[in-house]
Amino acid sequence: MSKQRSKDYRERIDTALATPKLQDALHQFGDAFLLAREKAFTGHDFEALRGNIATLKSKVRQNHAQLLQQFIANAEAAGSIIYQAKTAADANRYIIELAKQKNATLAVKSKSMVSEETHLSVALEQAGTQALETDLGEWIVQLAGQRPSHMVMPAIHMFKEEVAELFSKETGEQEPAEIEHLVEVARNQLRQSYLDAEIGITGANIAIAETGGIALVTNEGNARLVSTLPKVHVVLVGIEKLVATLEDAAAIIQILPKNATGQLLTSYVTWIRGAVPCDGEEKELHIVLLDNGRSSLTESPQCRDALNCIRCGACANVCPVYQTVGGHVFGHVYIGAIGIILTAFYHGLDNAAELVKACIGCRSCVAVCPSQIDLEEIILHLRETVGDEEGIGAGKSLVFRKVMQNRKLFHSLIKAASLLQKPVTKGEKTIRHLPLFFSPLTEWRTLPAIADKALRDSFNQKPQHVDKPRYRVALFGGCANDFLYPELGLDLIEVMNALDVEVFYPQQQNCCGIPAIYSGDKQTAVELAKQNIEAMLEDHPDYVLTTCPTCAMALKHNFVEALKDNPAWAERAERLSHITVDAASFALNQLDGAAKFAGLATDEKITYHDSCHLKRGVGVWEEPRTLIKDAGYQLVEMNHADRCCGFGGSYSLTSHPDISKKILQDKVADIQASGATCVAMDCPGCMMQIRGGLEKAGVPVRAQHTIELLAEALKKRLDFKK
Amino acid sequence: MLPTQLVSQFTQAAINSGAEVIAVKSIGDAAEYIATQITGVLLVPPFLTAGRFKLKSALKKTGISIEVDNFRTAAIQAEAGITGVNFAIADTGTLVLESTHEDVRLATTLPPKQFALLDPEKIVADGLQAVKPLRQLHQRNPRNYIAYVTGPSRTADIERVLTIGAHGPKQLFILLVPGFSNDYLEM
Repeated sequence: MSKQRSKDYRERIDTALATPKLQDALHQFGDAFLLAREKAFTGHDFEALRGNIATLKSKVRQNHAQLLQQFIANAEAAGSIIYQAKTAADANRYIIELAKQKNATLAVKSKSMVSEETHLSVALEQAGTQALETDLGEWIVQLAGQRPSHMVMPAIHMFKEEVAELFSKETGEQEPAEIEHLVEVARNQLRQSYLDAEIGITGANIAIAETGGIALVTNEGNARLVSTLPKVHVVLVGIEKLVATLEDAAAIIQILPKNATGQLLTSYVTWIRGAVPCDGEEKELHIVLLDNGRSSLTESPQCRDALNCIRCGACANVCPVYQTVGGHVFGHVYIGAIGIILTAFYHGLDNAAELVKACIGCRSCVAVCPSQIDLEEIILHLRETVGDEEGIGAGKSLVFRKVMQNRKLFHSLIKAASLLQKPVTKGEKTIRHLPLFFSPLTEWRTLPAIADKALRDSFNQKPQHVDKPRYRVALFGGCANDFLYPELGLDLIEVMNALDVEVFYPQQQNCCGIPAIYSGDKQTAVELAKQNIEAMLEDHPDYVLTTCPTCAMALKHNFVEALKDNPAWAERAERLSHITVDAASFALNQLDGAAKFAGLATDEKITYHDSCHLKRGVGVWEEPRTLIKDAGYQLVEMNHADRCCGFGGSYSLTSHPDISKKILQDKVADIQASGATCVAMDCPGCMMQIRGGLEKAGVPVRAQHTIELLAEALKKRLDFKK
Repeated sequence: MLPTQLVSQFTQAAINSGAEVIAVKSIGDAAEYIATQITGVLLVPPFLTAGRFKLKSALKKTGISIEVDNFRTAAIQAEAGITGVNFAIADTGTLVLESTHEDVRLATTLPPKQFALLDPEKIVADGLQAVKPLRQLHQRNPRNYIAYVTGPSRTADIERVLTIGAHGPKQLFILLVPGFSNDYLEM
């Protein structure tokens, strides 16, 4: 089962990757979205707004039963008929029964993701009632026999020529592929249906307990027609859409369009309560409250924040994976980061099993989520669940559980590998071609060779000249710094010594454990956390420095989280978190490094790449830029500086190299367009990816760590003194 | 915020959303303006200020052909609809229309042109300030259909290109009429 599933999934990826037009469209949309969104939030404090949404939605979750009762009581008092559907099938059955009772041959629908979730249209059609989508995008998708590839813009994957062809079939005329004309065709084609339909079906963006009413947030005006003309109105709404008061509803309406489409407000917000007048009678208003997995989501402490989602779709808009493969790959019914989570609960873990691995972990979704959901954390938790259910794969299991947890074995295997690679490296520092089935990995980027001598073996041989150190700091090297780029660690010594800081390298440190977490192996991650806390705190350093932001995230957040309920470790994990800092921030903030290095460097044109885990994991982006600028380098910003480079650890090596490759190509193009001769960054993982991509593409731009650039500046000064 | 600032903020935001904002001096002026914009039938649903200011006769005087009932059959052919406005929201350029009466809905959803008569005194600062009168509207009517209208209908569903005029009105004209009504609960 899971083998066939993986195969189908791979095929979908291949198809999407072979459609560059789709990628161009999604990239353009992503760029335009960010600009519009920024403009829409001008004068607003996004962090404050989303903090408020998270609070009010969390309160709803805590008082859900009571608020739901209040909603039902108020809705019924206003003449609404309420049906509580436990499952998708229950909801469909109720609506089909209603359609039969009304002898309905036609139901007009406005856009509703919940109806997509329950596959309502198909169910109605099978029962003899035509379910006609009236939202333009939904209608296009319906005519094409597809499903939406975006929650807000269902037909974002289609082009006007395809739409013209579909519409031509409907009208029997040759419709030109002009957008304005096509919109007019849809308007005219659908007009009579609102009058003919016996039933109108809408979703709801919000259900308000205080009033027993719903709110619809729309642009096209079709929902107003659907909820006005037919004598029966069915509202299909998930029970998580509940809020307590009109103030809470207003807060959601304030943020939703800004974050969804960059509009200050949609054309229409429609507040409907109860059985309103309809053609001289009372309208029959049915509200179907759908559970379908939402209650079990409430029960999961790790995942329940997903219920705070207000369905803006922004998590997809900014996602580099979504932009590369679209919503028909990166989604099931619900798409993007939130889609992965909702799929697991509403459509079953099996439907989500491939998707949970498709997230590259760049956290760009977390940065724009209007409900402050840590989507990546939840996805990682689900990955772990899939790992538990289906296994993480025999190879990974062997590596993580048997090898990585045993530091000596892990490190001696790496040393052995450094000797074994000789035939392919031919003594050089990068691997340009790998033999046999590994060869696709080096078709699009070179890989760094494992260093002859690891940082841990050369560290103590480097003399340090600090008479009266201001601080004694421990370096947490991380695997890449230790085994691939030991020179980076040695440069760090130079830089720190120049700032009167002594650095030591605790030999017992091991992998930070993030690769294990990303592969769904939490057990290994916890074991590694303990080993590292022990190792790093042993000699009582003033600070622990990192050169890899993924390691920084592990030491600052993940260890604390993993051990917070373990009294033997919680305090030490907190202590380590407290003294851990990335090298650039430490140099700038604690050591006033900007002054120390001022004017030492050449005026080389440098552009800066924000590593995902530094910017969005640790919240650092200004510090390295300040250091680079103040040292005398000429800093030029590239486009999409904080977009992922496509590395994602094992994502680019084993799980999704094909997607990684495409994301890297975007990054290389942005670097090249900046006109810089050097791209700086603060992550050895990004260095590996970007260096490899630049080298393979033959782009004459070097990729360096900020610390390396500072060391270069120092060296220049020393050379000058000579 | 000063009332004049609210009016200018509202006007700017409404224009940005694609609406046209026209300041007139009286209902008579408003009717004359409308006559310059339409040649077909104008739907006039019942609303309080229309009666008080004899809107229908003002419109008829300009030669506009108006329809006052049978909206279910008339609306699909009508060129425009007109209503008052309960109140407006400055920061988004939004009109709030108490649309529980079905004719108000039909007049503002089906025809391609929508006219709205707003007294510039009835503007609140933002969506959060709108909650108080919104709640009052809810308290007055046990069942209700209240519409926030911001600009004409729109879509970006084909290739993400913003296109004005989807299934709802293609044009929204907001006529600012001073001294028309200062009651947020009446249209």
